[in-house]
Amino acid sequence: MIAPPPPPPPPLVTAGLAQELAAAVDELRRVTVQVRTRGAATGAGVLWDGGGSEGRGLVITNAHVVRGDRATVELSDGTAARARVAARDLKRDLAALEFAADRAMERAVIRGSPPLRVGELVIAIGHPGGLVGAATLGIIHLAASEREGHTPRWIHADVRLAPGFSGGPLADATARLVGVNTMMHGSLALAVPAAAVEAWVRRAHALVAP
Amino acid sequence: MSTVLQSLSTELADAVQAAGRAVVAIHARRRIPASGVHWRSGVVVATSHTISRDENITVTLPDGITAPASLAGRDPSTDLAVLKLAGQSLPTARLRSDTPPTVGELVIALGRPGPSVTASWGVMSRVDGPWRTWQGAEIDSLLRLDLAIYDGFSGGPLIDAAGRVLGINTSGLARGVPVTIPVATVERVVTELLERGTIRRAYLGIGTQPVRVPESLARKLELKGDVALLIVSLESGGPADRDGLLLGDVLLELDGAAVSDSADVLAKLGGDRVGRPLAARVIRGGQVKTLQVTPGERPKSRAA
Repeated sequence: MIAPPPPPPPPLVTAGLAQELAAAVDELRRVTVQVRTRGAATGAGVLWDGGGSEGRGLVITNAHVVRGDRATVELSDGTAARARVAARDLKRDLAALEFAADRAMERAVIRGSPPLRVGELVIAIGHPGGLVGAATLGIIHLAASEREGHTPRWIHADVRLAPGFSGGPLADATARLVGVNTMMHGSLALAVPAAAVEAWVRRAHALVAP
Repeated sequence: MSTVLQSLSTELADAVQAAGRAVVAIHARRRIPASGVHWRSGVVVATSHTISRDENITVTLPDGITAPASLAGRDPSTDLAVLKLAGQSLPTARLRSDTPPTVGELVIALGRPGPSVTASWGVMSRVDGPWRTWQGAEIDSLLRLDLAIYDGFSGGPLIDAAGRVLGINTSGLARGVPVTIPVATVERVVTELLERGTIRRAYLGIGTQPVRVPESLARKLELKGDVALLIVSLESGGPADRDGLLLGDVLLELDGAAVSDSADVLAKLGGDRVGRPLAARVIRGGQVKTLQVTPGERPKSRAA
């Protein structure tokens, strides 16, 4: 009689990977909002400012997600707030939504450094076809201008997006924000780099601040 | 916080970075450049279908330098081309030739359709035995990929998670479906192209069509199979014509092996068969006849 082979060891790496991926996705979902204009879900948004100090929250999304001056943002806990478009930039396809926040909320953590590397994992969160908080995993496709230090116009990611991901976060393996998902170019996802969003928010905020 | 996820991310980026040092951009067509791999010292492998001119070819190296390269040879039937690059110091690709990829294995396709390296990831979707391209060349194993194809895919390497090269990617061999030409095939073709500048392939100069042999005739002639190849065209003055094959002959066997489609014929026509006679069994006028035919070398201008 031949003894049966011992059972294979449990796949520790895969199990750990799944667990950590789920944790990162959960963390990102908490800073991802749904954006609705005139009652229709039009895309996603990133909680840029949790409204701790001034009682005002700030969401960044794509300009093409909010066509009018007003929108509704629905937070991950289900609470909805009326928001006004505080700034819009059609060229960059960015919009800033301001809403009254009665409590401080978690906000997206931006990855300042190190620079993105081709091949590193990225996670995108969005609401494709009404599926709230969907996640997709991919890698960085191209890190433009490896030699020069300037901020590239787009982050190119090999990650499958669909309508409903627009305005939502693109984050690294530690759930730090690297960009705002904006469009598909063939099967390539293009996102506005977080650094470019940050610079735009600073400038736009200076313009609209009372 | 994350450990496995973060390590995976870092390792993938490391693999891309390491393997990307041997990936170059090839300017040999209009619009977007294609990719190539520094396979041996001074030797760059690319895909034939992305090289639309034989001269004025330049390559952009990972450090951004653009250098001239010369076409050492190409083989459209395997979609491979070999370029020579003089006086440049860049690392050669680290090849994985000992263990074949497995279905489900995580793989990355690299390209360099410009100054920067690009990557897409996916899994091996199919790993199978030898197959023949539509132009009749044998590829050592079928490697099909489940990943997105971007500019610069063709001619770039497929790498494993450790950055080792599994082969050269092309979308030009299977109607746009991404496949990888395995290391063994690339090695063989590169060696021959460097030695001869071309891939020798034997040919007979016949066109065939499968036909069903009537059962009564098959029984009478004691045939093994019931499908054979009707010779429907014959190149005038070609090897088969010269050795006495006729239009209308029904080819049953070549070199002792039954033939029932053109791939069976091509299988007998490797480069080493040039000038070595083969026994051809045919039905002619209701009788089985055996002729000796000596394959010639396929003219270079012919695609197949």
